[in-house]
Formats: sequence, structure tokens, C-alpha cells
Amino acid sequence: MKTRKMILLALLASVSIFSVRAQSLDEIIDKYLVALGGKDKLLALNTAVLEGAMSINGQNIQVKITQANNKAQRVDITFGGISGYIIQTRDSGWQYLPFQGQQKAEAMPEAVVKETADALDIQSPLLNYKEKGHTVELLGKEDVDGTECFKIKLVSKSGLEQTIFIDPSNYYIIKTTTKSKASGKEVVQSQTFSNYKKLDSGYIFPFSASGFGPGEVTFTKIEVNKSLDPALFKPTN
Amino acid sequence: MRKIHLFAISLLVCAASFAQTRVSSSTFGMMEARWLGPGTMSGRITAIEGVNADGKTIYVGSAGGGVWKTTNAGASFTPIFDKYCQSIGSIAIDQQNPNVVYVGTGESNMRNSVSVGDGLYKSKDGGDNWTRIGLDSTEHIAKVIVDPKNSNTVYVAAPGPLWSDSKHRGLYKSADGGKTWEKILYINEKAGCADVALDPSNPSIVYATTWEFRRLPYLFNSGGQGSGVYKSLDGGKSWKELTSGLPPKPFGRVAFALAPSAPNNLLAIVESRETGLFISQDGGEHWKQQSAPANIVARPFYFSVIKVDPFDAKRVYRPAFNFGYSDDGGFSFSEASNDGGWLHSDHHALWINPKNTSQLYLGTDGGVYLSLDRGGTWLFLQNLPVGQFYHVAVDNLSPYRIYGGLQDNGTWTAPSSAPGGLSNGHWQAIYGGDGFWAQPDPADPDIAYAESQGGSAGRVNLKTLKTVNIQPQAGPGDEKLRWNWNTPLVTGMYNKGNLYIGAQYLYRSRDQGSNWTKISPDLTTNDKKKQEQENSGGLSADNTSAENHCTIFTIAESPLDENTIWVGTDDGNLQLTTNGGKDWTNLSANYAKTGIPAQTWISSIEPSLFDSNTVYITLDNHMYGDHKTYLAKSADKGRTWSRLSSPEFTGFAHKIKEDLVSKDLLFLGTEMGLFATVDGGNNWFRMKNHIPDYSLVRDIKIQPVTNDLVLATHGRGIIVVDDISPMRHLSQDIIEKPVYLFESNPIVLTSGKYGDAGFPGTGAWNGGNPPSVQSIEYYLKDRVSTEEMKIEIYDESGKLIKTVPATKRKGINKVYWDLRMAAPKIASGGSKADFAALVAPMVLPGPYTIKLKLGNAEYTQAIKLVHDSTNRHFTLKDRQVQYATAMELYHLHERLAGTVDDISGNQKILADNMGKVKGARARKLLEEYNGKLEALRGSLLATRQKSIFADEQRLRERISDVYLAVCTQEAPPSNLQLERVAVLKQEWQKADERNSLLKSQYEQKVKKELIKEGLIKENQSSLQSDKGN
Repeated sequence: MKTRKMILLALLASVSIFSVRAQSLDEIIDKYLVALGGKDKLLALNTAVLEGAMSINGQNIQVKITQANNKAQRVDITFGGISGYIIQTRDSGWQYLPFQGQQKAEAMPEAVVKETADALDIQSPLLNYKEKGHTVELLGKEDVDGTECFKIKLVSKSGLEQTIFIDPSNYYIIKTTTKSKASGKEVVQSQTFSNYKKLDSGYIFPFSASGFGPGEVTFTKIEVNKSLDPALFKPTN
Repeated sequence: MRKIHLFAISLLVCAASFAQTRVSSSTFGMMEARWLGPGTMSGRITAIEGVNADGKTIYVGSAGGGVWKTTNAGASFTPIFDKYCQSIGSIAIDQQNPNVVYVGTGESNMRNSVSVGDGLYKSKDGGDNWTRIGLDSTEHIAKVIVDPKNSNTVYVAAPGPLWSDSKHRGLYKSADGGKTWEKILYINEKAGCADVALDPSNPSIVYATTWEFRRLPYLFNSGGQGSGVYKSLDGGKSWKELTSGLPPKPFGRVAFALAPSAPNNLLAIVESRETGLFISQDGGEHWKQQSAPANIVARPFYFSVIKVDPFDAKRVYRPAFNFGYSDDGGFSFSEASNDGGWLHSDHHALWINPKNTSQLYLGTDGGVYLSLDRGGTWLFLQNLPVGQFYHVAVDNLSPYRIYGGLQDNGTWTAPSSAPGGLSNGHWQAIYGGDGFWAQPDPADPDIAYAESQGGSAGRVNLKTLKTVNIQPQAGPGDEKLRWNWNTPLVTGMYNKGNLYIGAQYLYRSRDQGSNWTKISPDLTTNDKKKQEQENSGGLSADNTSAENHCTIFTIAESPLDENTIWVGTDDGNLQLTTNGGKDWTNLSANYAKTGIPAQTWISSIEPSLFDSNTVYITLDNHMYGDHKTYLAKSADKGRTWSRLSSPEFTGFAHKIKEDLVSKDLLFLGTEMGLFATVDGGNNWFRMKNHIPDYSLVRDIKIQPVTNDLVLATHGRGIIVVDDISPMRHLSQDIIEKPVYLFESNPIVLTSGKYGDAGFPGTGAWNGGNPPSVQSIEYYLKDRVSTEEMKIEIYDESGKLIKTVPATKRKGINKVYWDLRMAAPKIASGGSKADFAALVAPMVLPGPYTIKLKLGNAEYTQAIKLVHDSTNRHFTLKDRQVQYATAMELYHLHERLAGTVDDISGNQKILADNMGKVKGARARKLLEEYNGKLEALRGSLLATRQKSIFADEQRLRERISDVYLAVCTQEAPPSNLQLERVAVLKQEWQKADERNSLLKSQYEQKVKKELIKEGLIKENQSSLQSDKGN
């Protein structure tokens, strides 16, 4: 009798392998938020400073990203002893890339600034997306570089369309594609993320990302919740 | 008890086998296909719809290439339907909410080669995502329209299946945006609905045309009592047939239009015993025939579009064989001119931009045209690679050339790669008509064989394009020769000097088609009932050789024996000779035992390269309404057969191809996809690899030198998967490993096959080039998400020479190392970046080691780099001199960087202290030293350049100039380059001495002042050693 019970248990166990329940959008988002350290943790994320480099032909281009949640972002790029920056706040944007002789920071078109304002949300746009006014939809699964991912479409309150691909084995985002239209033409950009690591502070960040320029950016240092000088988000020339 | 036990075990075994890693397309995902086009000769366009509100977002549907979208009026297109059926019948946009788009699959230009659809699709986000919403069995959808006033009301006109009776035809209506459907107009199993239109001012008024039609493999009929013109006043609840003034029935197909700005004005081209143009001015209650030129009324089954300008009821367009237009409501017509370029004949789709009605988009059998003068003249859009190839061949040149024939677009050839990427200009037309088989002469690179429909074959001089007709003629006592639309014209697999062509008899030539020997009797069933093509067409005669039947359709000489020749016919005969044609055996009864129906077309035969008894065949029975994928294998020369099948298969089969190296690697091309197996046919997977999932794959070749898989698709042009060799070596043992670094063949040191003239393409299609350096390959069982991953390259002495970022995808990864070391440190600062900082010398030949580092794990593989001995302008000795010179300049850059760093370091200290010193003498001294350092620095690197148009050259830039030249050239340094190195070295030497001199003049004095002012400590030896304090 005991044997029979064991066999039945084994049978049930093996059957359960086949009955993977379809997950709802909110279940997937909840698991994703847990994978990043949890909702409460993310709600407490106010600033982040990511330092690293983009490697091109073995030469490093230094990259530093400074983010103030929902307020502003600054990307500093240093190559060959020359530094440039891209600054974006909710109502203005500046670009200074002096690598070929640019003298003054150039303003970003207002429509672009407005459309991408929601991208300043570093806590994740999927966190409390309803309250934020975003529209989010689960579009089933799709293969991303061989991994069958959850495909989530997010249209932010500011109108930016983003498709987010989450790896079901660990609930990390491995790819996003963003469609912008504000410049008067449709532009689609893709980014991929990997090398997810937990910081001492408990936050989980991807330490490698591509699609932000030529090659892959690898971060060597990520700090969170440092106080930031507001002057960082104003152009200096 | 025992029963349960066994059941449990089998389930567990089953579960375990599921856990085993399966090879799939994503295993080889890094092998991404190139789409070669051409774009200069595109393919049949079946639907064009634009967003009325913006006039620049346009969707284009094609006969076999899916849906392409432009958001910039045609400057660029993106394919947006690559996961679904590629045959497009109709596109509709909900203009009230233009992100809602419907696509009806299965085109309705019912020619012999038309493909089939699998239902209706809907997107709610402008084509980014699609859902199939029904009507799966209609096979052909001619028109989808959305009620302009009610987004939930959608009509679908479905002619339905072409090759069989079906209930799945008629006019369908949805009142809930496509969730549910009601069939609101149905005639019978033979007649479907071919068109539907709404009165825009009152969308309850619906017009529909019905059409009775049928194809058999050997006959076409357009026409019957089921065809008619109907009108409903209540949104399709009740219908009235419109007859007054229309010709007596039977009708064939009706092209129908209403004038949107005056919706009682209707036009109809009614196919009947006396086909004509009819006009009504009272909403169809009365019609009057109007005389019309032949072009306006010709070939109604194929030219089914007539349109009226959205605001001008008098302006009528008739896309047909030629493009006709009328300014008087259809009473008279003019034709488009060819000024500005030839307008391809055979038109099927037209979109008029309502924001600018002079702007028209026209879909033809050869692509999309744009007119800016209401159709008078046309510009061709060269960026849609949707050509419809039937067959493909490759030669052995380097780069190898590709040859193939296209539906309605002749025969073309192109190299597989070219400087700047393979673009439209590299394609050349070599033969006219509809194109099918084309073969390069194996011995003479100036000669190819090509044909047009019905076996009209020619020997083409590729230099002059002069041709000699080589089609065999009937001999004494022969019946009239029967040539298939798509007549096989094939070279020998064993004896490449053999050229074969098949009518009902098989012919062989051994002198380039000059003379032929008939080497078989009639190999077909010779069924006379299937040979009445002169009666084809129905109400309008249509006998273009497309219905020729009881013909040879495929020929294959064994690659192991010249005398073993296989022949397949379009009426189900599989014939074999083993003595060069003396005796023939019909083996069709043998394959029929596996359940394959009789009279099925033998679409391809593949005698194995590895075993003379093994042969594979594909069979196509869709012309009898059967879409099953028939693939069979015999291991005893055709005596017995087994079917190869897979739940993955979709679409009727066109081509089976065995790999040239691995006998277990097979490729299957069908009407709906490319499939592969790496285990001899036990498990198949759909090849995605940047190939549309449901591509119409008509033919497959493998190039023996490059190992490229070359596909003839009937709607996406030529598609090439460069180098499929990774598919040959992936054993189950490797698949189960978490990481596997493949052994590499010696890597040839080259900076690539081609240079770059600096002028990128201007809008035309470009198929790119294969990677021209060899990749480092490894397999990952799973994607790497939580660990750092990189590739390190070490030289023979164990020195790390380069770190290359590693890709992390699941399956095979390919990483391209540029074969160069890490770039030098370049003098930093100045007013512009020096991009020499991104360039390094190529390493020398020799043994190297690759380390794949994944977290703490390390996988090592030895590789060998070898000199490119094929480059006769660059010997190994040249390479050594080049390397030595490049390294001298590399070190010179690093030395200069050291000097500049030293200067800048001192300047920083001076600047830091400038504000702190109190004494005037001290300040003056600091300023003086800084000024001299700045003058020196300004001579060493560009510090004043303000724009890219004002080039400033200093020592850094001068070194870079020659460094970049020497590093990137595949040639020894010139005498002057060598001399230049010495000059630049001296310049640096002088600068370094100047820096030392300034140091000796100022450093102690500055130090003394700073100590005196308490700004630095007494015991430091130089200014910069204070940096950390």
C-alpha cells in the first residue's frame, strides 16, 4: 500500500511538471519587483550613481550616470581626457559632446524632453504603474536571444512606448525596446541588460548594459541614495 | 497496481526527456540570415493602406513577403508581420483609431502560383503586436473594411479556397471589432465574396460582389452563376442583386468602385461573355455600359481594382496591366507614361493620400511605385525586398554568385557579397519573362542557363547578355511537347557537364544545350483529360502555360553516379533510371503505400550524397486542396518509403536539402517556413534565424566553400544564412554542458574582405555582407544573467593582449575579435578627441590562447592565427615590417602620452596653487612656468580646434596620421612612412627635452616658493609627488 502511495505521489509530481499555470501581468510584475529587491526597497530609491566604462577595441570610454528619481539624469562621458555630458530633467535637456570640437551645450527639443520625462523614473515604471498613469499590457511570451521571455508593453503617461522583456527564470529584464515619436519621426531603440548583482544596500542592478552607445557598458561601482548637488543637472557651458 | 506503476514510470521518463535540452532555432540564434533582395526588382504587392490623418504612415501587403510599414511616406520600411503567414490579401485601418489595423491573409489574385492564408489578424498598436481573430479556413481574403463611423463594424470579403469546394467563403461581418463573426452573404461552396464597399455617407448601404472560380492543376475557370453584384440597405441583413443594365450572366470576377464624394456613382468592370465597364449614377439601380480600352477590361481575375479619388468623383483610377486614369468619371481613359522610369505592369493595389490626392502609391507585380502627379509618372521605391523566387543556384567563384528566377520578374544574378554590402546595383537581370530555374555553367563563368515560363530556355552570355535559345523541339513521332510553367532545367550533380531539361520526356545535353538527346519515353501519366489548356480561363481565355500539365517537374542526377537519374512529374510519377536513361521504373506505387495520395506533384528529389540507396522526396498536393507537408525517405533506392513528419511542419512542401557534410542535417522548405533537423529527421525545428517564420521557401542550396545556406523565397527574395557549419557539430553531449568553447580552425589574419569608399547607400535595399573575420564560438546552455562574462586573449608568452566583451545568449554565441591588440594610451586632453586611441596594430601570426571567463569559471582554448597567404600584395615579411613600424608608432604615442601627462600634471598643480599663493613674485613665477608648459602642450596636441571643419594638427595628430595609415593598411610601410617615424620620434624627443629643460629651470624655484608659502612639504622630490597630499 505504501509503495502504491509513493508511486501515486510520484505520478502527481510528474504531472505537475506539465501544468504550468499561466501567470497574470500583476503576478509577473510582483515577481520582477521582488527580484530587484522588493517594492519597499524600490520606493526608497531616490538617487543612483553608476560608474563604469564602455569598451571599444580594448579602449575604455568612461561613463558615469547620475540619477535623481523622477527629477533628473546626467550622463558624463570621458574619452581621451575630454568630457561631455547629457543632462535631462523633466522640463529641459542638454547635450554637450565636445569630442569633435563642440563648444557649447545644445538644448534638446522640447517635445523630446516631454516625451521621455517618464524615463526618469528609476524606481521602475512598472512599480505602481496604475497610480503613475501608465498603461501596461502583457503580450504573452517572445523569444529574446534564445530565451522565451514575458513580453510587457508599457505606454507611459508622457506617451513613451516601451516593450519590456522579462526572463521567467529569474524575473530580470533582459531587454527593452523604446519607441519615440516626438522628434517628428519614429525612432526605435533597444537595450539589453545582464550581469545582475546585489549591492550591499540590498538593491539589485544590471552591471552590464548595451544599446546606450557603441559596445557594452559595464559598471564597476553603483551607489544609491547619495545626496546630489542640484547644480549637476544644469549645463556648465 | 502494476498498470499504475508502469504508467507512473512512463510519465517520469517522459518528464525526464522533457528536461533534456532540445535543439531549436534559438540554439543557433546567432546565425542571422541576410536578406539579399533585390530591391531593384521587388515582388507582387497586394494591398496598400495608409493612415488618412497623417498621409505618411502606410502599410504594404505583399504576395509572399508579409506586411511592411513605413512611417515616413516610403523613405524606409520595416517588416511587421514576420511571425505570421506571409501571403497578404487585404489590409484595413480603423481611421477613427488608426492604431487598429486588420490584415487578411491569403491574397486573392488567383494565379496558379498564389499562396494561401490562415485567417484574419488584428493589431491594436499600429502593427507591433498581432492576434489572429478568426476566419482561419478562408484561405483567401480579398477585402477587409472598417465602418468609417463605427469602429466595431468590420466586413471581410472572402473568395475562399481556390483549389477545392468550401463553406468557408462569402461576406463576413463583425459587430464587435472582430471578436465574433457572422456570414452575411453566402452563395454556395464554389462562389465566394470578392469585394465589399460601404457608402461612406450612410454605411448601412453595403455593396458586395461574389465570384465563382476554381483552379485545377491543369485548368482555370473564372465565372459561373454564383458571381454577381449585390447591394444591402440594412448593413448586410438583406441583399438585392443588381442586374439592370448589367450583361447577362454568368459573370466572372467584378472590379467595383464607388466615388466616396458622390457615393451613388458606381463603376464596375464585369467579367462576362462580353466583359466591359459599367457605370451607374443611382447607386446601382441602373447601369450603363461604357466603351473602354482593352487595358481597362483585360484579365479581370487578376486585375480587380478600380478606384475613385476621395474628393473628385470624376477622377477614376484603373490599375491593371498598365495604369489607366480618367478625368470624366470613367468615360475615357489615359495611361501613365514611362517618363522618369518604367512602370512595372500588372497592378493590384492603390492608395490615394487623402491629404494630398496627387500622391498615389501603386502595388505592382514588381513592387511599389509612388506618383506625385496623380498617376501620370511614377517613382520606384527600391527598398522592399519582396521578390518571388522559384529557384536558386550558386557557383564556385569568390565571392560566389547567386542565380535565380522570379515570378513575373525574369532571372537575376548577384555576387553573395560586395564592397559596401550587397545592394541593388550589384544585381543584374540576365533573362526575361517569368523566371524559374537558372544554372551557372560549371566550367565557364561567362555562361549561365535560364528560362522563362513554359520551358523557354536560353544559354546566356553573362558579359553581353546575348542568348541562344536552347529549348528542345519535338522529334519525329513525338507528341507535342508539354512544358511545365516551372520547367526543370538542371545540371548534373555527379557529372557537372550534364545539362537536363524535362518536358514529358527527359533531355540531356553535354555541349551547353547546343544539342540534346532524349533519354526517356513520356514519364508522365499522359492523361489526356488534363491536357485541355486551350479551354482554360473560364469566361476570359487565360492560357499562359501556367496550366500545362502531365509534365516533368523535377530532375536529380545522383551525386554518386551519373547514370542514376531521378525524375518527378506534376501528376505523381516518380521515375528512376540506373543506366543513364535506357530503362525507367515508375516508383509512385511505392511511396503511395505511406498514404501519400496519387497524382501529387513531386516537388523535389534529393539523392543522398552519403549513400547511393538513400533518397528524399517532397510532394505537394495543394492543387487538390490538400495542404499537408509530404516528406518521404527511402533507404533502398525507392522500393520502400517512410514518411518524415513533425508537429512543427506547416505548409505544403517544396524542397528537401541534405547537408554536404553532416548526413543528419537536413533542411525542408515549405510554403510556410523553413525547417531543420540535426538528427536525420527525428526532430525538426522551425528555422527562425532572422528568417520570417512562415517564409515561402521554394528552393535551398548550400555553397560548399562558405557553407552558406541559400534560400529562394517566394516573397522575401534571396535569403542567405552565412556559414551553417555550427549546425554540424552540436552533439547532445555538448548541448547538456553549461558552457562549451568550440575548437577553432586557424584564423586568417585579415582586416576584412572589403574596404569602404565612404558613400553609404541612398535608400535602396542593401543585403549587407557576411562577417569577414572568423568568429570565436561557444555554446551556453542558458543565458548568463548574473555573472560577468568576457573573453581574454593571450599571446604565446602568456601576456594578456586584449579583452573582448562576450555575448551571453542561450545557444551558440559568436564573438568577433578584430585580431588586434588593445589600443595604445594616447596623449589625453586638448580640444578634440583623437580616434587613434581606438585603433591598434593587428597581431602577428602564431599560437594564442582564448580564455572565456564567466564569473569565477574559466574555459580555455588554443587558437592559431595565420597569415593571409591569398593576399599576394602583402607577404608575411611585409606583415612583419608593418607590425614593427606600427608598434614603433604605438610606443611613440604612449611616450608622448607620458610627456603630456607630466606637463598636464604640473599645470594642474600650478593652477591649483595659483589662487593660493600670496607673494607677487611667486604668482608671477607660477604663471610663467604654466605659460611655457601650455605653449609646449599646445605644440604637442590640438588645443584650439573649435569645429570639425577646422583641422588642427600637432604632434599627436601627426603621429596618428601615419599610425592609422600603417595600422590599417594591408601593405608594407612605404619609404616615406618609415622615414616619417624617425622624424616624429625626433619631434617627441625634442619636446621631452624641452619639458625636462623647463623642469630644470622652474621646478626647484616653484617648489621653493610653495614651501615658503607653506603650500607643499619640504621633503618631496618633485611637484607632482605632492598630488596625493
